[in-house]
Amino acid sequence: WDRGTNHLLFNMLPGGPPDYNTALDVPRDRALLAGGGFSTWTYRQGYDVSIPVYSPLSAEVDLPEKGPGPRRHFLLSSQMGLHPEYREDLEALQAKHGESVLVLDKCTNLSEGVLSVRKRCHKHQVFDYPQVLQEATFCVVLRGARLGQAALSDVLQAGCVPVVIADSYVLPFSEVLDWKRASVVVPEEKMSDVYSILQSIPQRQIEEMQRQARWFWEAYFQSIKAIALATLQIINDRIYPYAAISYEEWNDPPAVKWSSVSNPLFLPLIPPQSQGFTAIVLTYDRVESLFRVITEVSKVPSLSKLLVVWNNQNKNPPEDSLWPKIRVPLKVVRTAENKLSNRFFPYDEIETEAVLAIDDDIIMLTSDELQFGYEVWREFPDRLVGYPGRLHLWDHEMSKWKYESEWTNEVSMVLTGAAFYHKYFNYLYTYKMPGDIKNWVDAHMNCEDIAMNFLVANVTGKAVIKVTPRKKFKCPECTAIDGLSLDQTHMVERSECINKFASVFGTMPLKVVEHRADPVLYKDDFPEKLKSFPNIGSL
Amino acid sequence: MQSWRRKSLWLALSASWLLLILLGGFPLLRPAVPPRPRPGAPQRWPRWLDAELLQSFSQPGELPEDAPRPPQASRGSSSCNWETCFDTSKCRGDDLKVFVHPVAAGPISETRRKILASVEGSRYHTFSPAEACLRLFLSLDPPAGECSPVPTPWNKGRNHLVLSLHPATCPRTFQLGQAMVAEASPTVDSFRPGFDVALPLLPEAHPLRGGAPGQLRQHSPQPGVALLALEEERGGWRTAGTNSSACPWAGHCEQDPAPEQMRPGETLPNATFCLISGQHADASSRFLQALQAGCIPVLLNPRWELPFSEVIDWTKAAIVADERLPLQVLAALQEMPPARVLALRQQTQFLWDAYFSSVEKVIHTMLEIIQDRIFGASAHPSLLWNSPPGALLALPTFSTIPQNFPFYHLQQGSRPEGRFSALIWVGAPGQPPLKLIQAVAGSQHCAQILVLWSTEQPLPSRWPEIAVPLTVMDGHRKVSDRFFPYGAINTDAILSLDAHSSLSTSEVDFAFVVWQSFPERMVGFLTWSHFWDEALGGWGYTAERANEFSMVLTTAAFYHRYYHTLFTHFLPKALRTLADEAPTCVDVLMNFLVAAVTKLPPIKVPYGKQQQEAAPLAPGGPGSGPKHQPPAPDCINQMAAAFGHMPLVSSRLRLDPVLFKDPVSVQRKKYRSLEKP
Repeated sequence: WDRGTNHLLFNMLPGGPPDYNTALDVPRDRALLAGGGFSTWTYRQGYDVSIPVYSPLSAEVDLPEKGPGPRRHFLLSSQMGLHPEYREDLEALQAKHGESVLVLDKCTNLSEGVLSVRKRCHKHQVFDYPQVLQEATFCVVLRGARLGQAALSDVLQAGCVPVVIADSYVLPFSEVLDWKRASVVVPEEKMSDVYSILQSIPQRQIEEMQRQARWFWEAYFQSIKAIALATLQIINDRIYPYAAISYEEWNDPPAVKWSSVSNPLFLPLIPPQSQGFTAIVLTYDRVESLFRVITEVSKVPSLSKLLVVWNNQNKNPPEDSLWPKIRVPLKVVRTAENKLSNRFFPYDEIETEAVLAIDDDIIMLTSDELQFGYEVWREFPDRLVGYPGRLHLWDHEMSKWKYESEWTNEVSMVLTGAAFYHKYFNYLYTYKMPGDIKNWVDAHMNCEDIAMNFLVANVTGKAVIKVTPRKKFKCPECTAIDGLSLDQTHMVERSECINKFASVFGTMPLKVVEHRADPVLYKDDFPEKLKSFPNIGSL
Repeated sequence: MQSWRRKSLWLALSASWLLLILLGGFPLLRPAVPPRPRPGAPQRWPRWLDAELLQSFSQPGELPEDAPRPPQASRGSSSCNWETCFDTSKCRGDDLKVFVHPVAAGPISETRRKILASVEGSRYHTFSPAEACLRLFLSLDPPAGECSPVPTPWNKGRNHLVLSLHPATCPRTFQLGQAMVAEASPTVDSFRPGFDVALPLLPEAHPLRGGAPGQLRQHSPQPGVALLALEEERGGWRTAGTNSSACPWAGHCEQDPAPEQMRPGETLPNATFCLISGQHADASSRFLQALQAGCIPVLLNPRWELPFSEVIDWTKAAIVADERLPLQVLAALQEMPPARVLALRQQTQFLWDAYFSSVEKVIHTMLEIIQDRIFGASAHPSLLWNSPPGALLALPTFSTIPQNFPFYHLQQGSRPEGRFSALIWVGAPGQPPLKLIQAVAGSQHCAQILVLWSTEQPLPSRWPEIAVPLTVMDGHRKVSDRFFPYGAINTDAILSLDAHSSLSTSEVDFAFVVWQSFPERMVGFLTWSHFWDEALGGWGYTAERANEFSMVLTTAAFYHRYYHTLFTHFLPKALRTLADEAPTCVDVLMNFLVAAVTKLPPIKVPYGKQQQEAAPLAPGGPGSGPKHQPPAPDCINQMAAAFGHMPLVSSRLRLDPVLFKDPVSVQRKKYRSLEKP
């Protein structure tokens, strides 16, 4: 026994007559006590675990979930053997509010063989228990001789919001569960005001509480197994606090968990301009064009470093002396394999938060446009900020997604042939991309930019920012606009990527917007030489 | 002999029994509740009267009834909790009213002055002791070391809060009775959860309001920054170890046996994690330093209660670890996933800025916690306490449903409503805004038009025929009325307009679609910018067109209706009065408010008419004025003083339609009329 050290005692229903101890009737010593009816006087905060009083009805009765919304009775009391003082208070409420309050008691004249535990009566009316709980919005859970009551479990199962009236009762798993979201706790002293207290709660909040109550029962009350696992999880989280389950994981119902987004860059913060950005140029062997890109990009004031990702394993990069002389450090990284994913690798050489991904043939962007793009990124550091914009559309005939590069009024993606983003997304792309998307991209040698758009939109819940007007970009799909040849296969492939990624993500994370970012005075009637970014939009 | 032996055995047995009972009554474990004598609860083996009942788990049958038990009477002072020792019936209408016990004559210390100013500046303060439901008693001033006598009337401490911003340096000379204690870094043993309030240990020079911003300038740790900072004896920090905080970013870690870098004398640490051991008396002030610096606090078995632990989820901003497992802790820090490091870092900054950076925030947070207890079910949900902008700026009197606020749509997976209410302020004589009404009502997103008639002029006999409801409300001739949370506003979005404003349907449509992407910001057409005037040594602002802006005029702007509630119920009355006296200030004030909440600039959308009309929207605010006249320059400085800092943030961009002025057929463009010359 070792004085209970590292022991866990389950005390499913504490206390017996006459004094109903809320802890344990034997010395618990150093043992952890998981008990079903702690009061604040006996509960060792942060040590003991308060567990539910298990209701056998959980297993016995199948109550299908009832949707939230107003129910026949506003307030219901279903417990038997209440103290007369409480019963008087409740009956006074019933007398005052009529139909909307229902106070039930034990049935006195049931025929033989009927389980009295499954019936409740009001005057001569007989009700099925616990089914009757589904007829009420709020259900009172009062203290009896014991603080913990199995009725709490029944009430939650019925999706009725428990009104807990038991001073000093430590609610089950209160160390991790947020009971404010699923219950109303009323001091015993204020019992006569309970009706007005409940009426002040807005309907929408009540519906949330109904959903939450049912979810708590499903997750933590419905079986001894659920109770035991939750207890062990709490103890596990105390031992490994840095890997503990979060508040949201304990408390958010699955529907909320599924639809909610927790943006990894949630702090509203405009990074200092002085930090600058790192330009990453992915190249294979177009050295002449690469050198032009390097020279152009090096003119951008906020550039702090240039990284060339040399993706050609058969050929060495040009000698040091041949590279353009620029004012910022230039580094060449050689890759082991010619993969598109290499452009999004979180290289140690990236020291700034802002990354500019740029293709080795993007020579048409002016220094003003790039500098402005960086300024826009600073205002939206959690987004992809890019130049050419694209759109995804639902094709009703084919019942699938379609890629669109025409002149549209909306955008949902930007090409990463020229885009600013936070370097954290490189880490996510390389190590946290869902499913087999990374392999798909490398195998098809296409769509790494669409994958990045999916990833960022999915994790932040936000749309891209397209900057500056449309320009002629040298890219396969732009030829369509030039009126030369429509590269049909390319468009089909891109559409396929969107459908593939949407199925891997299990949803369509891309967000459609109708705006783009321009300098404040763009195309305004204002002296050009006074504008910060005059050279924008020239073709 | 035999009987003696039997006797001694009996004695030994009883002695061990006694020991067992004692140990059972006073567990030696920590953390544990302090021993509280429970009269009439002798320890003994169970008599298993429940045997029958316990069986019922395996054989569900009729549950025996619990024996009834009368309601409990209030207990003594040693065992107080919220239900038994605080009388909520004194808080009529669920409103917290706080009265501060007057201080005995004599010099008032700086700390006490700041606390008083903070309480008196709070919307909960009252000068009438009869009205109060909470009486605040400032316990002591550490420098003087004089302990205050018991205030009168003390009423056994009922509904009293004894406040000390510094840990008790002199023993309490009075019985606490039923009073709550709000104390800096209370020990875990003396702290009564749900009743007492744990405060942070503030430095002497902590500012009254505003306060220094968090030190974090970027979201992610800088590459090469130290993993861990340790406290130094004399108050500084020492960074230790490798640059391994960068290693999780690269996805591979290797042990780098670099020597320790010594940087003595630093007041704020520069590292990813800050190790704070529980033993030092000043551990909790170190904790605040780490928080401000964006250095994730790693606490080893703190013996003190973390500040505001009742509402703040510290697992999101700090790591509480077991000092018995130092190696495990170090390994856990080194291998912590970047996503967690990012989230923890950002949370430290949010919490610092929301609740700790000034005495006023600390005091208001304390009062807000007590108000939440009184509210019960209508209190702030946990989400509002633990995500930006924080509970002081998210009033539960507006709503307890996160989706109703502009801030939580992402976390809730919801979207703002697709309709807006136009609120037109008619404050100066002139033509009624019939054209404007027609243009706005033409928008497919317009739900209704509200006209706030705030002039002596008689109402027009006819209003234009429009497809949406039009309601005329009688204004009180005060400029601040424009931002009153009228019950008639039943949409998330408000389009605030002035009778002189001139907008096209296209402009309204586009601006609203943009607002839906940024529901927490103001989206407007005309802008002002602020600047620091070296010559005057103060802030100035201008309506001149420039390459950047920091304010949008509320004479034509979309924003969330929640800002009306904040404007009316959160801002100090003095500021609203200032706006009423100098109407041009009202725009500045609204922009200050929204920027202080969001920490982001407003958004500008294109406005076609600014070149043609001489005074399209009077920049002087409601009422007409010459176009470029800078409004009363001093209101910006008065407001910066009242806020304690300059909240405005500048932006260099404008959001235009995707095809705005692009060389493509105008037929393809959705917002083509925006481009008409």
